[in-house]
Amino acid sequence: MATVSFRAAQSANKRKTFLLLGAMGALTWLVLLAIFTYLGTSSAAIVPFAVGLTLISVWGSYYGSDKLVLTMTGAKQIQESDNPKLFGLIQEVTIASGLPMPKVAIVQDSAPNAFATGRNPDHALIAFTTGILDAMDRDQLQGVIAHEMAHVGNRDTLVSAVAATTAGAIALISDMLMRIMWFGGGRRDRDNNGNPLMLVASLIVLILAPIAAMMLKSAISRKRESLADATAVAFTRNPAGLRSALEVLAADSTVVHQKSTAVAHIWIESPLDGSSVSKMFASHPPIQERIATLRAMESLN
Amino acid sequence: MKTTLILGGIAVLLIIFFVAQYNRLIRLNVAVSEAFSQIEVQLKRRSDLIPNLVETVKGYAKHEQSTFDAVISARAKATTATTVADVSAADGAMTQALRGLLAVAEAYPDLKASANFMSLQEELSTTENKVAFARQFYNDNVRLLNTAVKTIPTNFFAGFAKVTEREFYEVDDAANRNAPNVSF
Repeated sequence: MATVSFRAAQSANKRKTFLLLGAMGALTWLVLLAIFTYLGTSSAAIVPFAVGLTLISVWGSYYGSDKLVLTMTGAKQIQESDNPKLFGLIQEVTIASGLPMPKVAIVQDSAPNAFATGRNPDHALIAFTTGILDAMDRDQLQGVIAHEMAHVGNRDTLVSAVAATTAGAIALISDMLMRIMWFGGGRRDRDNNGNPLMLVASLIVLILAPIAAMMLKSAISRKRESLADATAVAFTRNPAGLRSALEVLAADSTVVHQKSTAVAHIWIESPLDGSSVSKMFASHPPIQERIATLRAMESLN
Repeated sequence: MKTTLILGGIAVLLIIFFVAQYNRLIRLNVAVSEAFSQIEVQLKRRSDLIPNLVETVKGYAKHEQSTFDAVISARAKATTATTVADVSAADGAMTQALRGLLAVAEAYPDLKASANFMSLQEELSTTENKVAFARQFYNDNVRLLNTAVKTIPTNFFAGFAKVTEREFYEVDDAANRNAPNVSF
């Protein structure tokens, strides 16, 4: 890999997120078109219904993300007096980034990992497993904190909520349509729409759309991880710290106990076993690739 | 009627554009001042650590009076500095003096092993990092402001908004400037 500056990496990843979100929008539009072609406008009522349902479920969890994730991961919030050294390190990164001080939580787990959540920088929460605090030195931990604060600064909880809403709505629409078609309902204006080729095409779109949406959602998540790595370097100007932290994570074979896919994307290292998830659906880029990118940034200094 | 509407629309758009440029300059300028006060806050924190640190080192190393004097005088100088250049010069002198103090500590194993010194050392290294990051954040903000003051279209509004280029925070530290020579 050629040498890259963190600024170039930041803008490239931002651009790619926009493209992917655009693709997500195009996919939604395609699904709507397929519905109208297949069922006619009379069945369009399921669209606001599906979107509304996912909006409520996803945005509810987005708004309360800091509290919800605490319960889901079993993290306990701590105060400065509980771990002054960790708080000192976090304060360093808040000064470097100009972000407000987040809430801090600890997960009792020997596997080294960390995550960030919260609907905006003022309601941010970053959490660390006891394993990561034991395994890492000052510079490595600073890199990890910078990566998490980068997620906060880049508003990745919002980005992933948008991606989850779209993917969820598409999945729900396609699921409901399958049921409607199963029971043979819906197609009232059949005679207005005679082209059988269009009908087959829309059916294929409806079947493939949820898979495509999942893939887009994972791709967005991977780009946000790469962006957070680049932004972390912008904060600390020390790619070596985060790089050696990732090396520690790569060398460690233990994973966080809770393998819930619902919160997999928020950790710094994917808690899901690499081999069980295909690369297209992975929420994180391969860790060796991230290490290589950071190494390329180091050679610039 | 139609022309009046069009002209009125253009006027409104122009006003919105002017206000946006003006506000952007003011925002950048305020951000630089804020970033500078963050440096001062962190430098203050560092100088507050010094009496405690000197006392602790004195307890083990009584005969290093010249090192203690250097730190104390650097601290005194730092409290009177106000301009960017003065503050950064005092900051550099203080960093040098503290480095000397820590070098002295290296020679006293009992001191290095004491819990009090170890916690002071951790506090000092996090404060040093905070100072460094505050400088970096300040310089990043100065870079944004100076670019805006010099580039189109914001440069046309700089005079009107009374915003001028600001000074970078240069660290006059020989150890930082000369990259270490490593030979294998």
